[in-house]
Amino acid sequence: MNPVEVRALSKTFVTKEGPLFRKSPKTLVAVDDISFNVPKGEIFGLLGPNGAGKTTTIKMLCTLITPTSGDALVGGFSVAKDQQKVRENLGVMLTGERTLYWKLTGRENLEYFAALYHLDPSFAKKRIEELLALMGLKDRENTLVENYSTGMRIRLSFTKALLNDAPVLLFDEPTASLDPQSSRLIRDTIHSLKQEGHAILLTTHNMEEADLLSDRVAIIDHGKIVALDSPTQLKEKVKSSDVIEIEARNISDQTAKTLESFSEVSKVAISSIDGSDDKGLLRVHVQKGKEVLPKILEFLVRKEVTITKVAFIEPTLEDVFISQTGRSLRD
Amino acid sequence: MNTISGPRAVAGALAAIFWKGIKHYTRYPGNFLLYLVIPFLFTSLIFGMGQFVGGGNAALNFAARTGTQNVLVYEVLGSAVWMVSWVVVEDVGVALRDEQMKGTLEQNFLAPVSRVTLLIGLSLTDIVITAGIFFIVVGVTVAVTLPAAFASLLEAYLALLVGLIPLFGIGFLFAGFVVRFKEPYVFTQIVNLLFATLTGTYYPVTLLPYWVQLLSRTLPQTYVIDDMRKIVLANQTLVSLYGSVFILLALAVAYPTLGYAIFKHIEKRAGVTGEFSKY
Repeated sequence: MNPVEVRALSKTFVTKEGPLFRKSPKTLVAVDDISFNVPKGEIFGLLGPNGAGKTTTIKMLCTLITPTSGDALVGGFSVAKDQQKVRENLGVMLTGERTLYWKLTGRENLEYFAALYHLDPSFAKKRIEELLALMGLKDRENTLVENYSTGMRIRLSFTKALLNDAPVLLFDEPTASLDPQSSRLIRDTIHSLKQEGHAILLTTHNMEEADLLSDRVAIIDHGKIVALDSPTQLKEKVKSSDVIEIEARNISDQTAKTLESFSEVSKVAISSIDGSDDKGLLRVHVQKGKEVLPKILEFLVRKEVTITKVAFIEPTLEDVFISQTGRSLRD
Repeated sequence: MNTISGPRAVAGALAAIFWKGIKHYTRYPGNFLLYLVIPFLFTSLIFGMGQFVGGGNAALNFAARTGTQNVLVYEVLGSAVWMVSWVVVEDVGVALRDEQMKGTLEQNFLAPVSRVTLLIGLSLTDIVITAGIFFIVVGVTVAVTLPAAFASLLEAYLALLVGLIPLFGIGFLFAGFVVRFKEPYVFTQIVNLLFATLTGTYYPVTLLPYWVQLLSRTLPQTYVIDDMRKIVLANQTLVSLYGSVFILLALAVAYPTLGYAIFKHIEKRAGVTGEFSKY
């Protein structure tokens, strides 16, 4: 049996929306019939844009949210029926830096959670020492968390997930808003945990991270898994097309749509650069790219698009996402 | 084995939650001062109203209706019990919401510690803090104004300790409501102000209309306040008040059982609606 087995898991939220006294129920399918396994010693990435259902999946696996249908087994225990046992088998890092007590020191936070995980006090003491040293927090262990930098708080939150040395580890966006150095430290640690035989599930909307870390990636969109394989295999599937990346100003959705209607073009995705309304990035999946490029550029110039950069690029997981959904991960 | 189980594990978790609470109290020290002055401030208000609005016969009327001339001890006892009740109901009721606002509620719920250990642990800090403050407030008042009754305080404190258990049950009930409806202070403040009216905090319950008295008799504070006044001001003993002690013990079973059952129901529902991660 695999440490994580997800079987036809679904979650539907019903919210009430509208003005007071005239609220009507609205149904949102957050996770839609997903299935996958994570064996021992594997890093499994859930990649998708914000709102795709990644965090809801993690929260169902760690018993914070009850599935609407389906089930998942963690360490052989059902998340719907054996919640206490599931929690004993899990180390979880949820996203965000407010997952710690800011009025406690780093060490006090770890000691508190070690007691909630029923760790043997002598083991907890040793483990906390090791982890603080590993994550570069030893010299600030007695500083209140409110005086930590964002990077230190996220590292401490990550450390907390490792306290009970659980066989299954869930990391929700483990390197979000981290500087490159801290990100590398966390990625290296995740790799070591894999070598030790932990089953690791991580969510990310960062395609480079999913590519770098994961043995297998499930691409999730609107609650559904749209592709699942190793990063290499997934990219292989889109290699039959050329990928042209065009950085430009004044690109409209309409222009991108018209471009997609060209017979040589299979997919076009548009995303903004640095949140700018004006500056955009087009990724065009096309057959025989070198032959079609002049036609594409001529069309864009005619549409008064100001082109600043054009490049042929190696397909990434983002292109896998575009080929499956027609949208960019950065949307 | 890296983990422990059984009573040792529960005790370890309770101690950790308790000390976390104590550290938070000491790092936000304003509440200590507030709890120390509340009973005196409210007593001053009532005393002032009696003195300035009640007219020449106010003191005589007070003695006739309460059976004592010691206004200060009578009112401080009522105020102090009300303050303890306020803190327990509000802090237990709001504890989970407070964790939710900090972002730490889910972190606690991810651990294999049981929910009842968590709720009791969050309450433990408040037992110690409020009982400590209560001892100081009541002890100082009795020592200064009625030294002869000082020895009876131990029995009076025992009455309070028995009464704390059902109060925590009421706190559990509110913990559930707060997880479900958010807006914690709407619930706890309305209820706490109602408690002051219904439980004889400033006047004997027997002066209330009969149907209100029936409601008062379902609340533990009514018995605690009445017992403490009888012990300190009327030289009675806790043993002689066995009837109300028995009712308090019955409420000590009923309220926590009911409160926890409702909390568990709402908690289960929160798992379905994803309520724990909502602010």
